[in-house]
Amino acid sequence: MSDVRFNFMHFMPYVHLPANHKEFKSLWVNFPNKYYDPEKAHELYQQYLSQLVLADQLGFDAIVLNEHHNTSYSMMPAPSLLAATLIPQIKNAKICVWGTPPNLEYPNRLAEEYAMLDVLSKGRLEIAFPLGTGMEYWANPVNPVTARERHRESIDIILKAWTVDGPTSYYGDFYTYRFLNSWPRPYQRPHPPCYIVGTGSPETIELAAELGFGYSAVFVSRQRALELNNRLRERSAAYGHEVRPDQLPLGVLTYVAETDEQAQREFVEHLQFFFEDGLRTTPQFLAPPGYISIEQLKARAALGDKLHGSFDFKTLSDALFIAVGSAEKVANLIGEWGKTMGTTHFNINGHLGNMPHWKAVKNLSLIAEEVMPRLRSRSASLQRAAE
Amino acid sequence: MVRFERETHEVNGVKIVMYAAGSGQPLLFLHGAGTFHGFEFAGKWTENFRVLVPYHPGFGESDDDPTMLDMHDYVMHYVELLDTLGIEKVNLVGFSLGGYLAARFAIEHRERVIKLALIGPAGLRDKDNPPADVLALSPEQLPPLLVSNFDVIKPHLPVQPDLDFIADRYREMTTVARLLWEKPWDRKLPRHLHRLKMPTLLLWGEEDKIIPSAQAKLWKSLIPAADVEIVGGAGHLVLDEKPEAVTSIARFLS
Repeated sequence: MSDVRFNFMHFMPYVHLPANHKEFKSLWVNFPNKYYDPEKAHELYQQYLSQLVLADQLGFDAIVLNEHHNTSYSMMPAPSLLAATLIPQIKNAKICVWGTPPNLEYPNRLAEEYAMLDVLSKGRLEIAFPLGTGMEYWANPVNPVTARERHRESIDIILKAWTVDGPTSYYGDFYTYRFLNSWPRPYQRPHPPCYIVGTGSPETIELAAELGFGYSAVFVSRQRALELNNRLRERSAAYGHEVRPDQLPLGVLTYVAETDEQAQREFVEHLQFFFEDGLRTTPQFLAPPGYISIEQLKARAALGDKLHGSFDFKTLSDALFIAVGSAEKVANLIGEWGKTMGTTHFNINGHLGNMPHWKAVKNLSLIAEEVMPRLRSRSASLQRAAE
Repeated sequence: MVRFERETHEVNGVKIVMYAAGSGQPLLFLHGAGTFHGFEFAGKWTENFRVLVPYHPGFGESDDDPTMLDMHDYVMHYVELLDTLGIEKVNLVGFSLGGYLAARFAIEHRERVIKLALIGPAGLRDKDNPPADVLALSPEQLPPLLVSNFDVIKPHLPVQPDLDFIADRYREMTTVARLLWEKPWDRKLPRHLHRLKMPTLLLWGEEDKIIPSAQAKLWKSLIPAADVEIVGGAGHLVLDEKPEAVTSIARFLS
C-alpha cells in the first residue's frame, strides 16, 4: 500500500533578464543567448542544487528535474547531468528525471544514461518520457510532424533495451539497431518507474494507458486535469492496466508562510514572473507545424494559450493547482485536491520564477515541517478516497 | 472571369480536387507552399491550353495523405494523376515548392514534359543567395515578404484573426514540414538538373524576398539551355503581381 508522497520539483530558471526583456515576445527558442551570463548562472546552479539537497534532508520523498532548450525558463537542457551531480548528495529521496524527450536523443543512448543513473543511485531513479514542448522542436533537428510516431518508437526501443536480454535488435521506421545491447542494465527490474508528462493531448493519454505508465498533465486547468485523470483510468482499463493513486503525480505550485496574507504577499511576484517572464512565448513556437492536430490547434487557440505570457492571480489560482497560504490552508487545499483527483502523489513546485534563495529555503522548510506531516497523518483517508 | 470546373479524383487512395478549364494542349500548374492567394492568374492560360490546377495532397481542398513523406512521393502522385486522366504529355508550370516538384518530375519523367516553366522555384541550395526559411517565419512575418505590392494579396488575407484561416495555413505548413523540415533543399538536384533537355523557362520576380531572383544564375548554370526572365517590380508571387509574367509563360509555352 503506497503512502502519500511529496516531490520537490525545480524549474531552475535563469532569472537575470535584461531590462529590455519585455521587448521580446518569446523567452524561448530565439531569445538571444547573449543575455546569458555564466557567472550569474553558476551562482544560480549553486543555490538551486542546494535547495534540491535540502529537500532531501527535510524529508521530501523525491526531487524532480526536467528538460528544456533555448530558454531562460530552465537551466536544464541536460537533466541527467544534474541528476548525476545530485545522486551522491541526495541520500534518501528518489531522483526523478521527468525528463529528456526521447526524440531529442538516440534512444539507446538515453536507455544507457538512465540505466547508469539507476545504478549510481541504487535504484532510486524514476523517469518520464515527454514528447517535448513545441518549442523544443524549433531548437532541435527533429521533424515535429512525425514527432509522435518517433516518440512511440523511441520508447519501444528503450523498453526493449531494458527488458529483453541483449544482444537483441530493433528495426523501426526511424531507427535501426543491429545490436541493441545496453551496458549497463537498470538497477530496478524490469526498469525504473515510468511516466508520461503532457498537456493533455488525447494521443499522449492513450500512450500512457497502453504502456501502463503513470501520467501527469501540466499547465491544464483543475477541471481539465480531473477529466484527464478519469480518461487515463478509463483508457488504462481498456488495456488491462489499473492506475494506482501514486501513478498520478499532481503538480502544485506551493508557497507557505506564517499567514495567508504573508504567503500571498511574499509569493505573488514570483508567480507573476513565472507566467509573464518564464513561460512567455508565441503561438508559433508553441505549435510547430504538425506538432498537434488541427482539432487540437483550434481547441488550444480558443483557450488563447492564456498561460504563456499573461498573469492574473485570481484567474490563475481559481483555475490551476496553486496552493498559497498558511500551512493549514495549504495542507487542506492539497488534501482536497488529492481526494478529488484520486492521487496520493504530489509534485510540489516550491521554487518559482525569480524567488530568492531565502524564500525557497523558508518555503521548503515550512512545507516539510508543517504541511507534509499534516497530510501524512491523513494519508489513510486520502488513500481510501483515492481508491 | 474564366469558369473552372471543379473535379475530384482518387489517386492511389487519396482524394484530390482539381480545377480545369480551357482546351488545347494540357498545362499542369503545380502550386507552392500556400494556396490562400488562389489561382486567378491561371485563367489567362485557358485561351490556349487545357489548364489543370490540382491541389497537392495536404493542401487546399485536397485530402491529406500522411504517408507521402518526400518529394518523390509527390512526383509519383502526379505520374498517377496523369495516368488517371489519360494524359501522356503536359506542359508543366511549377511555382515555388511546385517549381521544385516540377523540376523533380521533369528529371524523372522528361518524356512526359513538353515544356517546363519554373517560377521562383525552391529546392536548390544556393549558399550565396539563401532563401527565407518559410518554416521559421511567423504568420505575421510571412505575408509582406511574399509580394512587392502588398495590396495584391491583401484581399486574400483575413481582416480579423480568423481561426479557420490559421488552421488552413497550419495544415499546409504541416505538409511542407513533412517534406522540408529536416532539409529545406534537395542535395541531389544539382546532380540531375542537366537532364532537363526540354524547352525550359526560369521566371522570377526581381524583388523576390522568399527565394532571391539571384538564384536564377545557379539554376541557369545547371540547365544551360534554359531561358531566364526576371520580372521587375514583382516579388515571390510574381504571377499574382504581374499580368505580363502570366503572358510570358503563355508565350513561352505556345
